[in-house]
Amino acid sequence: MRIDLQLHAAGVLAPGIASLADLLALSRTGVHNGAGDQPLASPAALPPNERRRASQVVRLTLACAEQALRGAAFAGSDVRTVFASDEGTGEVCQQMLEALATTRMLSPLLFHNSVHNAPSGYFSIAHRNRQSATSVSLGADSFAAGLLCAAAEARCSGQPVLFLSYDPAMTEPMRSLLPVAHATATAWTLSAPPTPNGSPPALAALTLELQDGSAQVDALPVWAAPWAVNSSARALHALAVVAGADPEPASVTLAVGGCRLRIARAPQGGAPC
Amino acid sequence: MWGIAGYSTVNAGGRGNAQSWNSMVSGQTGLRRNALPWCDLDGWIGEVEGVEDIELPSALRGWDCRNHRLAWMALQGDGFATAVRSAAQRYGPHRVAVVLGTSTSAILSTERAYAAWKRAGEFPPDYAYRRSHALDALCRFVACALEICGPMVTISTACSSSAKVFVTAQRWIDCGLADAAVVGGADSLCLSTLHGFDSLQLIAPEVCRPFDANRKGLSIGEAAGFILMDRQPGAVNFLGGGESSDAWHMSTPHPDGQGAQDAMRGALRSAGLGPRDIGYVNAHGTATPANDRAEAAALGAVFGERGVPVSSTKGVTGHTLGAAGIVEAIAVVQALEQGRVPPSANLEQADRALAIDIVETALRLPLRHAMTNSFGFGGNNCSLVFGLGQ
Repeated sequence: MRIDLQLHAAGVLAPGIASLADLLALSRTGVHNGAGDQPLASPAALPPNERRRASQVVRLTLACAEQALRGAAFAGSDVRTVFASDEGTGEVCQQMLEALATTRMLSPLLFHNSVHNAPSGYFSIAHRNRQSATSVSLGADSFAAGLLCAAAEARCSGQPVLFLSYDPAMTEPMRSLLPVAHATATAWTLSAPPTPNGSPPALAALTLELQDGSAQVDALPVWAAPWAVNSSARALHALAVVAGADPEPASVTLAVGGCRLRIARAPQGGAPC
Repeated sequence: MWGIAGYSTVNAGGRGNAQSWNSMVSGQTGLRRNALPWCDLDGWIGEVEGVEDIELPSALRGWDCRNHRLAWMALQGDGFATAVRSAAQRYGPHRVAVVLGTSTSAILSTERAYAAWKRAGEFPPDYAYRRSHALDALCRFVACALEICGPMVTISTACSSSAKVFVTAQRWIDCGLADAAVVGGADSLCLSTLHGFDSLQLIAPEVCRPFDANRKGLSIGEAAGFILMDRQPGAVNFLGGGESSDAWHMSTPHPDGQGAQDAMRGALRSAGLGPRDIGYVNAHGTATPANDRAEAAALGAVFGERGVPVSSTKGVTGHTLGAAGIVEAIAVVQALEQGRVPPSANLEQADRALAIDIVETALRLPLRHAMTNSFGFGGNNCSLVFGLGQ
């Protein structure tokens, strides 16, 4: 029931946070730098017509994925992908509902961008990636459920997996149902030992353990509280624990359905005994 | 090899496994001209009869929506809940995973609530986003209904959603995260997909005719289906799956079906089989000109020209989108059990430009292994292989 993983590189986007280093600084000091949402450039890797029309969530996920590929030894065309989000299309879903409540005239672009796996589809086009691509969801537990999928896939396939946990900002009136005010995202380039391509450098080693529902779920740290409604706030927390240098805490326990997922930092170069 | 320890489906072809299979094997369509009071689009649809009249038990009433009523109908049928109860007793309720697919979940509820918000400036008090439209609602509802508490996840990759659940559940069982898994999914009729596919000009003005020379597009259907997958092999088993991406376009398949070829070859590799071992392919076969052409090209590349009997059962059920994977996986399991291959329903004149062996009338074949294909928006592909046990 234990899965050992290597984290080769990571990406982070959140208000005031544009990299893993920014996230670790925030988790260390607990002080927000006061900056607002990250400006999201149009994704250069997409064909020009797709680039201009890319939605906010496509920009968010592709920019975050770039960070996690830049530092890893795996090409964007080669990684398997798992994308996890609670409500993964944000403004696009809202625009579709608005059209259906008025003219009922949808644009083909709006419709195909409304699927939960739209960011994943654009990632595959941008990177000419023909590998397996899985988009998942489990409400507030989306990060833990997605990580379980990514970990099992890395172990069973023996191939690297790029895992994203993200939430696009919701627009009114949907925001009154799911009050995600600010987009947050993390990207993790993962492999399960024995690591493919020899031994590329790893940022951290981690161990996942699935437990029954009796274990206590860890609360979010205070610095992540502004994004508590975002499923990916739990990913920000877990990434800060796993990739950080603080001796304590060295693990996070999260809910995944009726079970618990314990994510622990392991000593570099191997799993704990 | 992972055993099929129980299954159940409701779709336009029938309520329950026997009705659904009888419709498929006799090529009897369940599609009707659209008469939904809330949608005036022209075209044919695969509506599940009686879904409007379903009442959830009081303990589950908070989850009420069209999608969960469909799921409930399937959960109640064919001894499925009993099979899950027995697995939960054997392994423990936290050792039975829930891995389900849906494309739009209960977005119909949100469409109605949003229209009410436009009129009144507030959402209706009985509208519950988290228990209907949110993508996790299906998993949580099913776990409540079956009283299981294993790890869970909803997979939402458009029309490959409830095919990919098999591969994820298999990995979870292989990693020791669960001993059995409830896999499957549900998708229900809604304005989003009816008008969405209409905007893409993919809905046929008449009943859909997969692989027909005069096919004019798809017909949308609704369905739910579930399979209990067990780490112990059974009389019929899931043997392996292949997953791939087209990396081509969001809603148009690669013209040679490159991603589809990758998925089919991946599934064969995973099952330890060669193309000649497969006796039947239940195709994605949506009846859009582009899909059927690309899929036929991919089938030809993997199996050789007219190398394997192929049919699409979407002429019976319609394209049930996020539920298509499970509906057609169950059709393949039934084909293996019965030694029969269902025809491509609604066929008038098979498209001879497609170099595939289209099944025009039901066949009796000594099947050992069969495959099913599911392809979705985003160029997301999944093929599954099932086989008879020893």
